[in-house]
Amino acid sequence: MERLNIIVAGVGGQGLITLSNVLGKAAVNSGTKVLVAETHGLSQRGGSVEVHVRLGNVYAPLIPVGGADILVGMELIEAARFLYYLKSGGVTVLNDRVIKPAVPGVIEPARDDLVNYISSHASNVYLVNALELAERAGSPLAQNMAVLGALVSTGILEGFVSKEAIVRVIKTLRNPEVNVKAFELGFSETRRLK
Amino acid sequence: MVSKGELLSPPGSTRLLLGNEAIARGALEAGVGFVAGYPGTPSTEIIETLAKVAKDLGIHVEWSTNEKVALEAVYGAQLSGIRSMAVMKHVGLNVAADPFMTLSYTGVVGGTVVVTADDPNMWSSQNEQDNRFYALKSYIPVFEPSEPGEAKDLVKTLFDLSERLEHPMLFRTTTRISHVRGPVTFGGIPQIRTKGFFRKDRPRFTMIPAHARERRRRLIEKWPSIVEALSSFEPFNRIENPGNKMVIVSSGLAYSYTREALEHLGLYDKTTLVKLSTPFPIPDTMLEPLKDAEKVLIVEELEPVVEMQVKSRAYELGLKADIHGKDLVPLIGELRLDKVARAVAEFHGLETLPPNISGQSSVDNIELPARPPAMCPGCPHRGTYYALRKAVNKARVKPVFSGDIGCYSLGVLPPFQEQDTIIEMGGSIGLGNGFAHTLSDQFPIAIIGDSTFFHSGITGLVNAVYNKAPQLIIVLDNRVTGMTGEQPHPGTGVTATYEETVPIDIKKIAKAVGVEYVGEFDPFNIKESSDTIYEAINYVKNERKPALLVARRACALEVDRRAKRKGIENPIYQVVLDKCTGCGVCYNAFTCPAIMVRDDKKAYIDETLCTGCGVCAEVCPFDAIVKVKEGDPEWYDLWNI
Repeated sequence: MERLNIIVAGVGGQGLITLSNVLGKAAVNSGTKVLVAETHGLSQRGGSVEVHVRLGNVYAPLIPVGGADILVGMELIEAARFLYYLKSGGVTVLNDRVIKPAVPGVIEPARDDLVNYISSHASNVYLVNALELAERAGSPLAQNMAVLGALVSTGILEGFVSKEAIVRVIKTLRNPEVNVKAFELGFSETRRLK
Repeated sequence: MVSKGELLSPPGSTRLLLGNEAIARGALEAGVGFVAGYPGTPSTEIIETLAKVAKDLGIHVEWSTNEKVALEAVYGAQLSGIRSMAVMKHVGLNVAADPFMTLSYTGVVGGTVVVTADDPNMWSSQNEQDNRFYALKSYIPVFEPSEPGEAKDLVKTLFDLSERLEHPMLFRTTTRISHVRGPVTFGGIPQIRTKGFFRKDRPRFTMIPAHARERRRRLIEKWPSIVEALSSFEPFNRIENPGNKMVIVSSGLAYSYTREALEHLGLYDKTTLVKLSTPFPIPDTMLEPLKDAEKVLIVEELEPVVEMQVKSRAYELGLKADIHGKDLVPLIGELRLDKVARAVAEFHGLETLPPNISGQSSVDNIELPARPPAMCPGCPHRGTYYALRKAVNKARVKPVFSGDIGCYSLGVLPPFQEQDTIIEMGGSIGLGNGFAHTLSDQFPIAIIGDSTFFHSGITGLVNAVYNKAPQLIIVLDNRVTGMTGEQPHPGTGVTATYEETVPIDIKKIAKAVGVEYVGEFDPFNIKESSDTIYEAINYVKNERKPALLVARRACALEVDRRAKRKGIENPIYQVVLDKCTGCGVCYNAFTCPAIMVRDDKKAYIDETLCTGCGVCAEVCPFDAIVKVKEGDPEWYDLWNI
């Protein structure tokens, strides 16, 4: 494959930028061209956040609607919100978690409805309980690394960036042991739904 | 953010850098000795990155009071012969426009680069003005890179160019350069000059009319030599696949979209692609391919800056080509691969696009709750807005809330809706000065943050006193520039490099300029806050003079960070389910993101999000929220500012 387009969606504060940054650094260290487009500023205050990660022969920083090979959802409402980026038959990696938006009178969609909706559009769906795995690894803050582990476990990054290159970058983060452990748990305990 | 070690990596290393970090590295490779700016998305990380290495390299890096002050400081520094850089977001250049417009008249001594970070699509801004226009009216060349790696090299080159031509340079980055990470290959950092000498030259540097007329004449005479210096500007300006009848001219980031769109469409080899980094001035050398072209397409983000110049020059040169631009490329918002692909396809007469770049999705939308950004758990602004609403209701006034730029702009959203105007930095007190004299039975309340107050609130406050404008001004003081990521400001007692300095007191300023009613309140104490605001409203109503209140509590993000770093424990609050009636005051009227709703409508607190501020316990009408574990005494100190 010439290019790989990954949309990472979630809630500000969930560690999306760190996740994408680790992936990006591992790519640079592997000699793969990468562009990571982030949202900063106002959006990070608990709002919905999308990060575009592009690997391979890429120039443009943003993935077109319907052009993502993979949707990584750190949270199910946000995964559903950004599903329109996923090409039909794409892959999704989902953190099995719903976070209530801090909006008065909000009606939270049911978890099962969200998963079914996303599954109807994706050809492969992977689910990971990142929060539980991160807590098992030693800190709830490491849930982003558990999701990254889940992403790597799908095998779709092969040819662009290796698991070893990613682990080497995770080891440079604060709390490397907890983060590597969360990553490995995500890698081994991800369920394929479809 | 990039670590100090990574940023100072040796020449030849390739690192993944944010565009803004790449710009900072480029300035270091050019030997920049003086840098000043004001925080503003998407520019902030440039100064933050340089501040991190300032002490090691001996360079001066500062957060100035505002962009005008920053550019003036840079003006002085470059006149001392030091390479200098001013950094601001696009709207910041409006504030700095006064010194900017005269910079080209005097020219520069030390290499000078002004960075403007534009925000197409207004991700974090009040407008999407295209600052390339500033170049046209100031005779200051403007440059735009196509990706982060090129941004680094371009900034470095501009300092050399500026010093050689004794002329300032405008560097325009955008959100999708500044906030995109890409591989950047480093050059070396030279010995940096930080001290120089000002050579007096009054006819050049004192712009009294007689001198200014002479400088204006010289500027116009000098201009062709500046254009000439850019006639060969590789690799930033280049022509790919010359000799085709179909020619696309793309500027800055638009090149990246165009290049990739052409590859996806299989049209790259059939198109002559002009890659432009100089949207003004455009050297004639870059328009060579137009002479034999049948059709030309100009691809650029936002305004038709290049298009207007190319069309005008084509007329002068008598070119016959059919020139397209904003008739095919959207004028509004940021570009995307699909938008550019559609324009390129139409230009080439293709009817369909490959599905992966068509910008179409086969997904049927379902209804999802919106998730707008929200004030953080523990944010003191939430208490202020809650108390302000109570006070306004009690005083029976019809408030007009003139708002301002900062995290507290989020008060525009439900449930608070206590921002009725948000225009620009300092506009709260500024518009209040007009409302105060013109509203018949409504009551003006200006709401402004501490950093914004220093930026441009003070002049409006002086005006309120001078012209006797009866308005209530509330300064939300959390002792930090919050929205851009907690930068220091004149009230914090530390500089950009975290050296200690004099903290400037907002209340003392208010008293000094003649505000007779100056008070403060603690937004974590809703009752006290509401009473204080109520009294101030009555003062303004009865005395017909301005009053100023300061809401004082630290930014919750700062407190959280410090507490985590020092291992300080916060108190823990929980909902007593037997007492909770599910009334929803805490999650619907107070709307702290740490308060969740159970299926039976009763509330519960997410301990991973809760900061322990305890304001919800005061807000709960049924005393159902209680402290179940006391926090460390030091934790309470962190909130006091």
